[in-house]
Amino acid sequence: MDAFYGPLDLVMPYDVRGGGVGACTMSSLRRFAATWRETATRRLFLREGVELWLHELDPIWSLTEIRARVVDVVRETADVKTFVLRPNRRWHGHRAGQYTTIEVEINGVRVRRCYSISSSPADPRVAITVKRVPGGRVSSWLHDHVGAGDVIVLGAAAGDFVLPDHEPAQLLLISAGSGITPVMSIMRDLAARNAIRDVTFVHYAHSRADVIFRAELDALAGHHPGLRLLVHAVDEGGRFDEEGFARRVPDFAERATYLCGPPGLMARVEQLWDQAGAALRSERFALPTVASTTDSRLVRLRLARSDRAVAVTTTGTLLEQLERAGERPASGCRIGICHTCKCRKRRGAVRNLLNGSISREPDEDIQLCISAPCSDIELDL
Amino acid sequence: MSAPRILSREETDALGHALDAIRDDVLRDLGSRDVEHIRRIIRLAHHSGAAGRLLLHVGIDPVSFVCGVGALALAKILENMEIGHNVMHGQYDWTQDPALDSKSYEWDMVCAGDDWRHSHNYEHHTFTNIIGRDRDVGYGWLRVSADQPWRAWHLVQPPLALALALLFEWGIGAHDLRLDEWLSGKQPFSKLRARARPFLAKARWQLAKDYLVSPALALWNAPRVLAGNALANVARNVWTFAVIFCGHFPQGVRFFTPSEVANENRADWYLRQLQGSANIEGSPWFHLLSGHLSHQIEHHLFPDLPAARYPSIAPRVQALCKQYEQPYTTGTFPKQLASVARSLLRLSLPLPHRSARHASIRSDFSKHLVDLCSEQQ
Repeated sequence: MDAFYGPLDLVMPYDVRGGGVGACTMSSLRRFAATWRETATRRLFLREGVELWLHELDPIWSLTEIRARVVDVVRETADVKTFVLRPNRRWHGHRAGQYTTIEVEINGVRVRRCYSISSSPADPRVAITVKRVPGGRVSSWLHDHVGAGDVIVLGAAAGDFVLPDHEPAQLLLISAGSGITPVMSIMRDLAARNAIRDVTFVHYAHSRADVIFRAELDALAGHHPGLRLLVHAVDEGGRFDEEGFARRVPDFAERATYLCGPPGLMARVEQLWDQAGAALRSERFALPTVASTTDSRLVRLRLARSDRAVAVTTTGTLLEQLERAGERPASGCRIGICHTCKCRKRRGAVRNLLNGSISREPDEDIQLCISAPCSDIELDL
Repeated sequence: MSAPRILSREETDALGHALDAIRDDVLRDLGSRDVEHIRRIIRLAHHSGAAGRLLLHVGIDPVSFVCGVGALALAKILENMEIGHNVMHGQYDWTQDPALDSKSYEWDMVCAGDDWRHSHNYEHHTFTNIIGRDRDVGYGWLRVSADQPWRAWHLVQPPLALALALLFEWGIGAHDLRLDEWLSGKQPFSKLRARARPFLAKARWQLAKDYLVSPALALWNAPRVLAGNALANVARNVWTFAVIFCGHFPQGVRFFTPSEVANENRADWYLRQLQGSANIEGSPWFHLLSGHLSHQIEHHLFPDLPAARYPSIAPRVQALCKQYEQPYTTGTFPKQLASVARSLLRLSLPLPHRSARHASIRSDFSKHLVDLCSEQQ
């Protein structure tokens, strides 16, 4: 049976739409009922109970999490696989070019990574295309352990690497390596809507065999005369150079440009655009770099909720430095045992001063009293 | 058991490092089997709870009543001890699983999660057994150490303790209200009222759940369900009371005065935890049902390590105690219960009850302090 049926909503979000005195009374009544139901659900432990029983029935059913079942794994190249997912009803779709957070459990620890969605929004199935990064924990895990039937947790689609509502007439898409994934979603979206009017797609890969989605791209170019496809293989001398690029795409500065690739290429392309006085939209994924353990330097700490920035050093604990800056985060024992100061780190890297371990993934929980920053960071405070 | 040897600064720090090494070994080894364990227990608790409720709701005979109460009590005990207490300690925060998150977990009993996180995780585990600072020493009502001054109401503490055992969740729930401070005039009523708000809200819903909603769902069986829920709650209360009192108040456990612990470092904190807790011997099921608080010593040393790991590190902790000539207070459940009962009875009287052993530690300790001072001069 197709496991695409989400569970019942115990807590219905009510739309409160005005209109007359009667409607106003009705809406406040509904609001009251919704709040009351929310409280009752929480206080009577209904959510936990229902969540557990739903999980017993089908592991992708959930009231709270977007979970998806892997329905297919496609081997794209030697080190790239596409995972085709069928999410539960918590998933509210994506726009072409956006990414999702995928969450897998590796040896008991939930690890999150952002991956661009490579499928078209028209497809009810969501595809992520993952290149195996040497030494990469999540990509290796996905390649080695995840197959059809497995369940993974997703985050809501996010990101602004998307076409504007008013679509530009002339489009230039540049990608390299696995940076093709969000761009491919845009391509597929355009193709599905038969909206490929004047698109130039430049892609760089190590070799012909490393071009992800090559067959599909060739087919698209055959079907859509408006698509100009330029695929470069670095091992055949196709490396990016400014002059060659400007020669082959002379109107690049006039085109709405979308760029995704490794940092080196992106820096050079961005420089070229700067010189031409043109703007482009780019997507990058990189984890923060970590300073050495001994030297003390200043980094920027952003408090997301209070929208405040504080300069802190890499040698002191976050708790002490926050307090010195006049903040009063919840805290207790100050020696790392009571977990009162636990706080969500949105991005950046911190070092655990008790055991030296480093947290550098986005959205991990840390203990303020025993953590020192190693890079610019943002906390959910 | 011999009195603990007074350790030099270097010895204490070495002991601290040895304990840190145990902690690091466990941290390095944490993995899927720890998560599988807690998820298995969560499932067990849910299934047992469902079975208990089913038996109470649809059964009409006394056998299904007794089985239903037993299954429901088992569910409540597992949820409070192995799951609730341990998850709220942050023992599974490393998994980054929102269902095992210490800050948002709420347990199925009248004590509000946030009150507990403050009075237990922070106050009790940081200031363990410091008289005047650790409000868990006798919970403000009972005299469990000869170092606590005697008051007239201590005369009735044996029946008081029995009442507390039956209503333990209410004692824990009201603990962070500091009723004793209000009675003695140290806390204004407005503050008490503010403190009581989360507790009253939680208690109201707990009462509604067990004594209103659940019986109402049973229709004609309502009285049976109400009685079953009450019995399951009381069984859980008595069990947790027994486990916790045996972990903290049997003979051999040491208490501290604030001046003794001034300028403590991490190693001194470890030593205080070691001397201030007691274990209970038993089978793996006994350990599980106690939430592994039968390994109170290991729990107090490493409150945020997954509790199911305590039995495996206990031999290493015990070996360190032997090496540094520190007490490792342990005994069977009946032995520790008897010891607690004796203590409660004896300390209900105003006799000068500092045991010979206690006195010797104290004099050793002061002698040690004098030695230290003269060395520095």
